[in-house]
Amino acid sequence: MSKPKKEPIKNGKLWIIFGILFVLINPWYFPEGSYQPLVWGIPYWALIIIGASLLLSVFISYVIKYQWQLEEEEEEKKEAK
Amino acid sequence: MELAFAGWSGILILLMYGVIMLGVGIVTYWKNRNVHESLDEYYLGGRGLGVMVLFFTFFATQYSGNTVIGYPPTAYRMGYEYLVSVPYFILIIMVYLMFAPRMYLMGKKYKLLTPVDWIEKRFKSKPVSILAAILMLYALGNYLLEQFVAIGQGVAGLTGGTIPYQVGVVFFIVIMLIYGWLGGMRSVAYTDTMQGIALLFGVFMLLIGSIIYFGGLPNAADYMQAYSPEKLGVPDGPGAVNWFSLLVLVGIGAAVYPHAIQRIFSAKSEKTLKKSFTQMAWMPFLTAGVVFIVGIIGIAAFPDLSTAESEKLVGMLASAIANQHVIFYWAMVLLFGGVIAAIVSTADSVLLTFSSIVSNDLYGRYVNPKASENKKILVGKLVGVAAVVLLVIIAWFPPATLYQIFVLKFELLIQVAPAIILGLYWNRLHPKAVFTGMLVGTVLASFMTFANITPLGIFSGLWGLLINLLICVIGSMFMSVSVAEKEEADQVVGM
Repeated sequence: MSKPKKEPIKNGKLWIIFGILFVLINPWYFPEGSYQPLVWGIPYWALIIIGASLLLSVFISYVIKYQWQLEEEEEEKKEAK
Repeated sequence: MELAFAGWSGILILLMYGVIMLGVGIVTYWKNRNVHESLDEYYLGGRGLGVMVLFFTFFATQYSGNTVIGYPPTAYRMGYEYLVSVPYFILIIMVYLMFAPRMYLMGKKYKLLTPVDWIEKRFKSKPVSILAAILMLYALGNYLLEQFVAIGQGVAGLTGGTIPYQVGVVFFIVIMLIYGWLGGMRSVAYTDTMQGIALLFGVFMLLIGSIIYFGGLPNAADYMQAYSPEKLGVPDGPGAVNWFSLLVLVGIGAAVYPHAIQRIFSAKSEKTLKKSFTQMAWMPFLTAGVVFIVGIIGIAAFPDLSTAESEKLVGMLASAIANQHVIFYWAMVLLFGGVIAAIVSTADSVLLTFSSIVSNDLYGRYVNPKASENKKILVGKLVGVAAVVLLVIIAWFPPATLYQIFVLKFELLIQVAPAIILGLYWNRLHPKAVFTGMLVGTVLASFMTFANITPLGIFSGLWGLLINLLICVIGSMFMSVSVAEKEEADQVVGM
């Protein structure tokens, strides 16, 4: 059984999510100069940016694993031979 | 930089690193005697790099000694605004997802050796290929220069000046040239692995030591609240624009690094490449994030440093920590040895790619296409050595701060991105439009950089890229591509 070929660039939905995550890793949506509350000495907005960055890493890992499938199977078949 | 632990222990570690690197080169050469007979073998390690080695060699191209030595001072000066260094390293992987899957396939299908190879295959245009090659060589040369300056400063610092700047540069460059010469990509990738591990270990010890002896982030936050609340606060308008510019510039620029693209070609399989990228997507937290925290801790540990003084922040922190405990003493010696090794490992990757573009894209394609592969490799190596000698002479008179040079190389490198990425997907992209866009983008970005014009606070390289893209797209729409050309492009990019 052969899995369908998948290429991230061809899937528009993925790039909408990447777009949203990109918007979230820019600190434009906080009031300028604010830093309270501090959590473990880290300003709240920095924590949110780190959170958004983590989400970006999670999503990248997901896309690599499930949405990128061009050659793998053929390469594995070759290896098996 | 004066380090409390500098001296004989530094010299010992440096010699040890040097010997190991040479050993790696010799063993690799022994195992792969035919390496100089084929460009594929020499420059791409026979397209057979496995997950771990591929991961570390990507790691070494993105993170260098500069990340450890140069980033904390920037965080020290900018405060939390420099947190941008974490997401921008993640963004590089996102940009890879735009083109790496297909680029890997193209590399395999057409046996591509360098990014210029791809551009030539896609556009079959001498002007486009040569302009792209020149831009890449310029950026790589600039990058190499930055590494040489850093090697010299690092060695002089670690040995407490016992080994002068110049001797340090020459010693490591000679070692780098020897192992690179012997084993090509394999030597480079294996030494990258060793150097990456040393660096990661050292950086974590630096973080732990800083937290134990200087108090962690809460302590730093108290200090900033009292004396410099702007370093804690959300970046203001220009700060946010700067953040955005850095994200885009570094995200795209570092993804189209010629040596990074070459690593896509070196992967053993798609699976290997995917695994390495997944790991890379998480590394920013463990590297850029860690050195960022170190810089922030420095704000409270060494307050009120001038810009020039703050450049030595990591040395000051490491010295203070090394004095506290013998474990930290040796950890810091290892860290600084690791930093120097990491700089060498970034430099060797860059040099190898520099040589491959000369070998394959300039000499092999235009000067002497009939030359044997062995001869092409030899020419690449010799031109590489000549370039190194020239750069060392420039490195003798090091420029002030590393950060400024860093931005400059991206401004130009990023101009090849439309040709490489858009060319993968759009069969109507016209070679003349690509050439004009690349040239105008380059001239505009250079002019704006030297004249120091940054409209809306956005970096000049991005303005260049915008014009470049517009010319590529609009130009291609107006210029008709003949049916034959379109079919050919279809065949090249079609899968």
